[in-house]
Amino acid sequence: MRYIRMTFRLLLVVIVFGFFHYVLPQHDIAKVTGTSIIPTDLGGLNSIFYAQTDSGNATLPTRSLRLINTSKQNTFLLGFIKRDSESIMVYRNEDTGWIWPPYFKFDSSDLQATADANVSTADNARWVVITHYGWRNRFFTIYPNAIGIRPVSGPDVRIIPWFNIFFFIFLGVAWLFLRAMWAQFRERSVDPMLDSAGNKYDEVSAGVAERQGRLRRWLGSWQKK
Amino acid sequence: MAFIKLFVFGFIFLSVIYLSISVYSRSVRREKLEKRWDANPPEAADAEGRDTYIAEGMAEYHSGLRRKLIALVYVVPTLVIAVILYITNAN
Repeated sequence: MRYIRMTFRLLLVVIVFGFFHYVLPQHDIAKVTGTSIIPTDLGGLNSIFYAQTDSGNATLPTRSLRLINTSKQNTFLLGFIKRDSESIMVYRNEDTGWIWPPYFKFDSSDLQATADANVSTADNARWVVITHYGWRNRFFTIYPNAIGIRPVSGPDVRIIPWFNIFFFIFLGVAWLFLRAMWAQFRERSVDPMLDSAGNKYDEVSAGVAERQGRLRRWLGSWQKK
Repeated sequence: MAFIKLFVFGFIFLSVIYLSISVYSRSVRREKLEKRWDANPPEAADAEGRDTYIAEGMAEYHSGLRRKLIALVYVVPTLVIAVILYITNAN
């Protein structure tokens, strides 16, 4: 039983962590090496990892997907510790529109132009910070979605994830508030109701016991002493 | 259309939050009034006096600023969306 509970909790932690890791913005320091547009047919497995077509367009099964090809700096620990190596990373560049995730991104074409304007060559490295959400997975063919591209002077810029800091503070405050609300609701509404229900139950069972007692005494009066 | 969907569901979601917070706030206010009366009841106090004291306090709360501040539940997310929209799409 303990192991089942532990497994369940661990699973819950993994799911919550995965959710936030997917949805919250992260910053990569990278060099754009090119951009491409490929026609894509989304499958049932990977379609949940894509946002939508450009928000003004109709949704068709086949669509063109904008990709940004980069060579990004490797990091440890969600980007907090930098490493001295680079690896290939491909971002998609899609509108998220009005719905999910709530980035309200409508400027995919402009972002693609920004990427094109900051392409690095072998002699001229131009570093950018790419804000993105999502995961890259080769087996499911999914890409992180680039949200913004900002040119920076070099690969050693310090990035402070302000949005995530405020988001988790807000989440903590909301959690405390919810707990206070629940405590107030229990104290003022549920407990008095349970009390009065308990009293009622006591009264009824006392009445039943009394009547049973009378019946038993009456039956007893027929028995031989 | 996606925008209408966001508007309708956002409105429903925020209304649920608004109602819960206003119920909570009223409950806290009432409890505070009750405790204030019980801690220091005036001479010759009866249950009726307590009820009127609480009713007056609640009426004051209903016309006060604090209750109106709960409407920020609708205002703040709208502003946040506007800011995110601007930051994401501005060049």
